[in-house]
Amino acid sequence: MKFAYYPGCVAQESGKELDMATRWVSRKLGIELVEFPKFSCCGSGFIDEANLTLNVALNARNLALAEAAGLDLLTVCSTCTGMLTLANVKLKDPKMRAKIDPVLQQIGTSYRGTTKVRHLLHVLTEEFPPAQLKALVTRPLTGLKVGAFYGCHLLRPAEEYPTEEPEDPRQFEDLITALGATPVYYRGRVMCCGFPILFVKEGTANHIAGRQIQDAKAHGADAMATPCPLCHISLDAYQNKAEHEVHQALDMPVFHLPQLVGLALGARPEELGLSRHLVSVDGALAKIGTVTVPA
Amino acid sequence: MVETVHATFQVYRFTPGVDSSPRYVSYEFDLPPHTPVLSALLKIRQEIDPTLAMRYSCRSSICGSCAMVINSKSRLACQTQIGPELARHGRIVIDPMRNQPVARDLIVDQKPFWHDYERIDPHLIADPAHPMPEGQPNPMTPEQVDRFYETPRCIACGACYSACPAKEADPEFPGPMALAKLYRFVVDPRDGATRERLLKIQPGGLWTCLRCHLCTAACPKDVRPSERIRDLKELAIAAQGVTEAGSRHAVAFKENIYERGLLNEGKLARQTLGLAGTAAQLPQAMRILRKKPELLKSPPKIEGLAEVRKIYEMLEDEERSG
Ligand code: FES
Repeated sequence: MKFAYYPGCVAQESGKELDMATRWVSRKLGIELVEFPKFSCCGSGFIDEANLTLNVALNARNLALAEAAGLDLLTVCSTCTGMLTLANVKLKDPKMRAKIDPVLQQIGTSYRGTTKVRHLLHVLTEEFPPAQLKALVTRPLTGLKVGAFYGCHLLRPAEEYPTEEPEDPRQFEDLITALGATPVYYRGRVMCCGFPILFVKEGTANHIAGRQIQDAKAHGADAMATPCPLCHISLDAYQNKAEHEVHQALDMPVFHLPQLVGLALGARPEELGLSRHLVSVDGALAKIGTVTVPA
Repeated sequence: MVETVHATFQVYRFTPGVDSSPRYVSYEFDLPPHTPVLSALLKIRQEIDPTLAMRYSCRSSICGSCAMVINSKSRLACQTQIGPELARHGRIVIDPMRNQPVARDLIVDQKPFWHDYERIDPHLIADPAHPMPEGQPNPMTPEQVDRFYETPRCIACGACYSACPAKEADPEFPGPMALAKLYRFVVDPRDGATRERLLKIQPGGLWTCLRCHLCTAACPKDVRPSERIRDLKELAIAAQGVTEAGSRHAVAFKENIYERGLLNEGKLARQTLGLAGTAAQLPQAMRILRKKPELLKSPPKIEGLAEVRKIYEMLEDEERSG
């Protein structure tokens, strides 16, 4: 299994632990990640607000790069997945194609629309039957109650993801079950983390993040896990501020998706960058009989 | 014989001022799986409890009266069949819409919703330079109508308003329906108040949208409010430039990517927040930097940056020095 690896910006910078964990899990499962040093940012839901056509063109270039190599994209961020998929959807419109094609021609490339954008979550759940994954688990996450937190752009708009329920998905929970942990169902799992307005209306953003963590906690979660590094920023790096906004100590460890998978497949915590989190994951690790190491 | 399924409903009941707190009442029936939730509620009212309060009229997704929360999703009760809900959840939990106070049982007081709608001046405002022709049609071309053909489908049911987490967190935010309607007037070629409308809505109005697309998922008429809000943001920047923290962030992000092809996270925060904002963020920044020191460094430029810049130059009006 071979993909054009699209780590996105954050996994290459503040969320480097996500990249580390993705590489570890991919090695373990025989997923070959092909590097594309020419990939640019997906636009993150911001460039399109200023100029939608520009954003679609930038992602048409990204998609064309993978297409030329005959590979599908593997993403590890809900927002990257959403923005790249949005480009695939918009480029079905002949009016948009008429604007984008000449631009691509100018930079010596072209878009045919054959590259699929697949998030690691979808690859893990669609390419590895639960029984196969279960057989590979060497450290079952037994007893750990995990609240999945999807990230909006992995679920909506719905026509971008015809296989997933936009307000009531199950894929992540099924994966959590296969790893031996217990999924926690709560309303917040499909809600917004507040990240898009973190630098615009910080208090509101922190409040929104706080509400979702509160909700997970009220439903018994020992930890949360997310397939989106932007959600991770809101839920982990700004959790202290979220606590302040919702007037409650939360102390909720938040894993990146491949960190949770890596732990179950036997990775050592330091191989997954777990000490880079702002909220300690030690409590959750103790539950599954392992310990973190100092950075 | 029509095939039936056993259906359990848990229905929210509450009369403010009379009941001390809300409660859920269970009702069970055998019903055909294609039964709309609204029909089941009417059966409860006719056969078990005539005091169950709810709004409805057309029973065919036209009037917009019967929006409520069904298994946690804001939906029209007359458009939601019980079969798929039972298959997925085993039962059907029915609550009143969110983001509006409960008047009784499944009926909410929609004053906040209509108030937010009025805030956008939901009618054509004539352009004094091009007055509307008296007593004659004022036709549009098919291309002009095409720009907003989705929005007039709105039946003002309020499902999007109920589903919106920005509305939940910030009462100042007008909500998806009002903004989708605003878009409709902003792009209507007969309207003469485009600039004023955008100027009026921006503070506290436009940039609180989270782009979570929950409104688009909830909308029974595929109006796609979240996409219309995105369109409004682009129009606002084009018409007025950068006037808000939100538009500053979008434009700064775009410029940030032009520089190296990938995001420079630390620099973006400084660009959006400005000097004073950055200073206020220092304690938080220090906390994060202790764990993630690479935020201080500029990431390297991507290979093929010239291609990315070429795309910008072709699709943007600005002069660039690169
Ligand atoms: S009763 Fe009219 S829309 Fe449902």
